Amino acid sequence: MDPVVESWGDILGPQALDLALLGAFMAFALVGFFRKSVRLKYATLVAAVGYMGFWKSRLVSVVDLFAVADLSLPIFKYSLPTYLLWVFAIGSTILWGRLYCGRICAFGALTQLMDPVVPRKMRVEIPVRIEKHANLIKYGLLVGVLAYFLVTRDVSVYRYVEPFWMFGLFGTTGMWIGLAVLLLATVFVRNLYCRFLCPVGAALGLLSNLTVFRIKRWSECSTCKICEKTCEWGAIRGPKIIASECVRCDDCERLYLDQQKCPHWIILRRKGNMFVSTPAR
Amino acid sequence: MKTLKRTPLALIALSLGCGMAVAAAERIFTTPNPAAELKRLFPAAAAFSPLAGEPLHFKAFAADPKANPPAAPIGIAFWTTDLVPQEHGYHGPIHILVGMDMTGVITGAVVTYDSEPYGYFSVEPPKFAAQFKGKSFRDPFRVGADVDAVSRASISIGSAARAIRDSTRIVARQLLPPEAVK
Repeated sequence: MDPVVESWGDILGPQALDLALLGAFMAFALVGFFRKSVRLKYATLVAAVGYMGFWKSRLVSVVDLFAVADLSLPIFKYSLPTYLLWVFAIGSTILWGRLYCGRICAFGALTQLMDPVVPRKMRVEIPVRIEKHANLIKYGLLVGVLAYFLVTRDVSVYRYVEPFWMFGLFGTTGMWIGLAVLLLATVFVRNLYCRFLCPVGAALGLLSNLTVFRIKRWSECSTCKICEKTCEWGAIRGPKIIASECVRCDDCERLYLDQQKCPHWIILRRKGNMFVSTPAR
Repeated sequence: MKTLKRTPLALIALSLGCGMAVAAAERIFTTPNPAAELKRLFPAAAAFSPLAGEPLHFKAFAADPKANPPAAPIGIAFWTTDLVPQEHGYHGPIHILVGMDMTGVITGAVVTYDSEPYGYFSVEPPKFAAQFKGKSFRDPFRVGADVDAVSRASISIGSAARAIRDSTRIVARQLLPPEAVK
C-alpha cells in the first residue's frame, strides 16, 4: 500500500465551492463600497450575517491571533478559504481601513443591521470624553487575552471575549446570557462591541494606521460638523478622522458627494456664481 | 495622544515576542501513559508493550508476551501525532490514539487532546472517533463521503481524517505482516 498521493483536484475539489462563494461575496462587498451605495451595503450586511455567519461561521477571530502568536497555523493548501479571508482582511485594512469590520464580519454586520430597525430615539450618544477612553478598552482586551493565552495555552478563552461562536449555535447557558446582555446594550449604544470591545477590531485598528487610501477631507471640514454628527462610529473628531475607529461605512463620504448638503460644494457654487454672470432672463 | 497610540503597539509586540519564546520552548505532549485508552481500543488484550519502535507504537497482546512460546501481537496502537507530526488542524495538531488489528482494520480511535476552537462540536464528541472503528487503512477517508462532515468545522474534521488515514497507512506498510498489506 503506497502512501497517499493527493492530486490538486483532491485538494481543491472540496474547497472549490467555498472559495468561489467567498470570492463572490468579497467582490460584491467591494462593489458596494466603491459605488458608495446604501442598498448594496445593506445587501452585503445581510449576506455577511447569513453566509459568513450562520452558514459558514467564518469570522476572523482572536483564535487567529493566537495562531500567529504561537506560529500554529492551519495547513495552507487545505485551508484556502480561511487564508483568502485573512488576506482580504489584512489587505483591505492596509488599502482602505477597517472595511472588514464594517462589511465582512458577520457580527459587525448583525449589529449594523439594528440601525434601520431600532428607532433613533433609543440610541444613546456617548460623550466624546468617555468615548475616547472607551475606545481603548479593546486594546486592553487584545493585550490581556493574548497574554492569557500565551501563559495558559487555553484557546477556548475566545468564547468569553468574543461572541462569534453564536453563529455556530453552540453555547452554554452562561454564554447565551452574556450575549443577550451584549445585544441588549447594543440596542442603545450603536455597534458597542465593535467600537469598544473587539480584540480583532483592535488589531485591525492598529494595522489601519498604515492605511494608504484614506477618506479625503476638505478645508471646510475643520469648521463643519455635519459628518461628525452623522458618523455612527464616533470616528470623526473635528477636522480629523480617527483611522483606527473608522470602518469605511460611507456615511460621511456620501455627504461629501452630496452637492446640496456638503458646504464644500455649496461654497464652490456660490464662489462660481460670483464670477460667472447669471444668464439674462 | 502619540504615547497612547504607541503603548498598545509596544505591549502587543512584547507579548508576541514572549509568546514565541514560550512556544519554542514548550510542546504539549500526548497523554504519557494512555493505559485506559489502550484498554478501550483492545478490550481483549491482556498486556501492552511500552511505546517504542520505528515508527513509535504500542503492541497489544492477548496473553502475557513474556510467556513461552512468545505470544504474537493482536494489534498495534499509535499516536497520530507521532506518525504524522506535520498534520495540523485549525490550531495545532489533534492528538488521536488509533488502534489497528493485524489485518489492517481499525479497532478504535480516541481523541485525547486538541486545541481546535470548534473542537467541542467537531472532533471531541465520542461520535466522531467512533465512526473510524471497523474502517480499513485502504478506505478513502473522504470527508462528506465515508467520514461525516461537520459544517463550520471543516478544517478540524479534515485534519483529523487525514491524520488517521495517513498514519494507518504508514503503520500498515511498516508494521503489519506483508500478507495483510498486499
